[in-house]
Amino acid sequence: MTLQVVNNATCTFCGCVCDDIQLHHDEVRIHEARKACVLGTAWFLNHTAEKKYPVALVDGKEATLDEAIEAAAHHLHEADMPLVYGMSNTTCEAQKECAALADQLGGLLDSHTSL
Amino acid sequence: MIRITGGKVYDPANGIDGEVKDICIDDNGRIVESIDGGRTIDATGMIVFPGGVDVHTHVAGGAINFARAMTPEDHRRTQAFIRTKTRRSGLGGMAPTTFATGYLYAGMGFTTVNEAAVPVLSARHTHEELADIPIVDKASLTLMANNEIMLDQMQAGEYERAKNVVAWYIWAAKSYGVKAVNPGGVAAWKWGEDAKQLTSPIEGYSNLTPGKIVTQLAQICDDLKLPHPMHLHCNNLGAPGNVSTTIDTLKHLEGHRAHIAHSQYHAYGGDDWDSICSQTGQLAEYFNTHPHITTDAGAVLFGDTVTITADGPWQHLLYKLTGRKWGNLDVENETGCGIVPYTYRPSNLVNAVQWASGLELLLLIKNPWQVFLSTDHPNGGCFWRYPEIIKLLMCADFRKECLEQLPDKIKGKILLPEIDREYTLYEIATSMSAGPAKALGLTKKGSLGVGCDADVVIYEEDPTDIARTFAHPRYVLKAGEVVIEEGDIREAPDGQEFLVKPHMAADTDEFMQPRFEDCYTMQFENYPVELERIERKDLQELPAE
Amino acid sequence: MGGKVTCTLGEVKQRADFIVYWGGNPAECHPRHFTKYTIMQKSRFLPRGRKDRTMVLVDIRETKSAKAADTFLQVKPGKDFELITILRAMIKDQRVTDAQIEDTGMTREVLDKLVDQMKNCKFGCMFFGMGLSMTRGKHMNSAALLTLAAELNAFTKFVAMPMRGHGNVTGADVIMRWQTGYPFGITFNRGYPRYNPGEFSTVDVLVRGDCDAAFIIGADPGATMPQPAIDHLKRIPTICLDPHITHTSKLARVHITTAPQGIAAPGTAYRMDELPLPLKPALKSPYPTDEEVVRRINEELQKKPFWMPEGAPLTMTAHG
Repeated sequence: MTLQVVNNATCTFCGCVCDDIQLHHDEVRIHEARKACVLGTAWFLNHTAEKKYPVALVDGKEATLDEAIEAAAHHLHEADMPLVYGMSNTTCEAQKECAALADQLGGLLDSHTSL
Repeated sequence: MIRITGGKVYDPANGIDGEVKDICIDDNGRIVESIDGGRTIDATGMIVFPGGVDVHTHVAGGAINFARAMTPEDHRRTQAFIRTKTRRSGLGGMAPTTFATGYLYAGMGFTTVNEAAVPVLSARHTHEELADIPIVDKASLTLMANNEIMLDQMQAGEYERAKNVVAWYIWAAKSYGVKAVNPGGVAAWKWGEDAKQLTSPIEGYSNLTPGKIVTQLAQICDDLKLPHPMHLHCNNLGAPGNVSTTIDTLKHLEGHRAHIAHSQYHAYGGDDWDSICSQTGQLAEYFNTHPHITTDAGAVLFGDTVTITADGPWQHLLYKLTGRKWGNLDVENETGCGIVPYTYRPSNLVNAVQWASGLELLLLIKNPWQVFLSTDHPNGGCFWRYPEIIKLLMCADFRKECLEQLPDKIKGKILLPEIDREYTLYEIATSMSAGPAKALGLTKKGSLGVGCDADVVIYEEDPTDIARTFAHPRYVLKAGEVVIEEGDIREAPDGQEFLVKPHMAADTDEFMQPRFEDCYTMQFENYPVELERIERKDLQELPAE
Repeated sequence: MGGKVTCTLGEVKQRADFIVYWGGNPAECHPRHFTKYTIMQKSRFLPRGRKDRTMVLVDIRETKSAKAADTFLQVKPGKDFELITILRAMIKDQRVTDAQIEDTGMTREVLDKLVDQMKNCKFGCMFFGMGLSMTRGKHMNSAALLTLAAELNAFTKFVAMPMRGHGNVTGADVIMRWQTGYPFGITFNRGYPRYNPGEFSTVDVLVRGDCDAAFIIGADPGATMPQPAIDHLKRIPTICLDPHITHTSKLARVHITTAPQGIAAPGTAYRMDELPLPLKPALKSPYPTDEEVVRRINEELQKKPFWMPEGAPLTMTAHG
């Protein structure tokens, strides 16, 4: 099967954020990440579109996305001082939602930078 | 639908000066001749203005965000906007957060702002921040006067190419026009140098001078038919004796449209910091005899602020003078920026001259359609202090009181003590709304005429304190929606962004790509801001010549 | 002083003839940094590329990056702050004793040469890594280095930049700054943002047991944090979003699998010099994106009563 090509893809593994990567993929796996370094290649090749994990786990049991979202909102709403933390390996669009979440909850907001 | 009834209307765009008349607004947020039904706001005894328009401010993007990072001590003592069920929290102060920026502007009746300095490289970032500034509508200007690909074309005498390069960058940034900062000087700063003389070649170029850049870029803005002319921060900002550079620059602009930014910072006489004096008389006279050129005051108010400008060399000097924090960010191939916190003190002679000069320009330039209210936020003072300037313009007695704080040695260095002019409400409405809207080419702003956006402010006159009147409007309507009522924020809708698409030669992409790849560190394809990223936009396609 | 004198990476590529890496190992941690942005690049101003540039590496041990350097300076562990302070004195011709220099593992001859290179280059740039910012002295070390770079501008053009790692952590910094005024370590518990690293930073909050729920995204504190912090995450309801089942997922009450950013999730990420870049996902994930999941949690929360009582003030003066 011929692989599909994405030109000028962006690698978010490290702070260099190289945006000149050429990805060759078959919709399920990336087979080659041209121009990427060893770390970037591992990053691209180790993530697939396979369904390897359950969509969600609640109290250790498989759950639907709706159930998990409801449980998450419940726990966060019940808390007096919830913490929103991390935000390294995610998009700016998700980070904005995280800041909105902490604002709405009256909680704490922090990233890897504080480590 | 809303009818505002009984108020004294000040609408300079339509020549209405304090006439009592109804303003009608339809369900599309437009001003109409008449409506049937809907809400009535009784404005009897109150004054009605078109929403304020800030022609020159710095509210979004890498530079102001750098300033936020540098001033946590100010965030701790400033006004806090508390989270509500539906509205985001924020902090005011010298460099307000995005949400607070929208609340503060709307809270004093401003409904349109122009972010005056955007490097294309961080345009994507700037648009994200602009989207997070609620209520107000926004435009942004692209920094061009130190862009190396454009400078190379100018140096080679390739005017048409330079023009296409400018058009390409404006569209890549999804901006509204062109800002020029210290033409050639920021490029020279990349080597630690500056460009102070309009006729000397700039560092790194053989025959290209700041004067040539100014003239050609103004021509380009005219030829591209940009709704707003070249928006120019002249060379030699802030330096004693710089009025000669400014006048020289204006002469290079003969025959072109132009907007001169924050002219207060460009109106000094003297040879050094001891002999510095105001030369606003000379500069105002030039404006008075050249009605096609507009400016904004860049007025200074005493107190703390943080200075932010693409003028990197000036900021290095300010850091050396003050010994305070210094932030600098050079942006590849395009521009730079510098950040230094600063306190303007009445006891400081230079600051006193600056304070007087800003007011002098506003008072000596006779036509309020030519000179607009600004502090070059946050450089001369924060935008939320505009009502203090309005009071200084409207009350000669209050100015006299303030003049008493200045040191004795100020005598003979400023013109303000001899000026008696007091602005009328009609002139204030011109300088803070109708005039800047016209200069920006925003035909639906700054006017209460039929068909215009229903951005309306209703003030309740406080005869004891005109600054209070303007700081706390009774109602603010944005696109027909009541956003401020009785001093509270009622709604925080999203504003829109104004964009232009200039005409450019069909082969401009092919021309740009190899030059781009030679000097940038990101991919050509990833550089332009995608149009779909800007959610609410008013896009104007500009015709070819 | 404070502040930061810096530039975008393209300026380094175009102009920097003198480059210092301090406490970082780009050869192994940012493998394309040399070739894409710094020493290996040719430019109109530095047409011979590597030959027109000088690189110095300062670190406590000789890493693979040392091979790329013209000079490797081995600083004694924990003496970075002292060495930077000595350099700040030496560039201004202030007196420094031989004993002070030796204490950092350097010799006067070596430092004289370094100071000479720093002052006489045309465009200098110092990159600093976690070997400087995460070891003894921490943010004091970074501040000292930034100050040294600022002060070198009295002699020539000089800038400094942190070597940020961890994917898009720079984006989180930038966004928190424009939305809250602060880069990290924030609380909204009075209804508006307040900042105090040490008090509101995560490790401190967890070790003290201050928070009573945790929402973890794009990080795996269950694998990287000190044990008392992990123990607290186990005690409280923890929610975790990640493309994999991580250590944190295993201790969490709720785990949601999400699409990996840039591979199957679109959006934006910031480079270490704070330039935003668009992401171009190649794959279609069977899982939702982080953005979508957090938005839906926000929407779910909007349906519940707001935590602050009705009639609370809407504005006030902030207090640290």
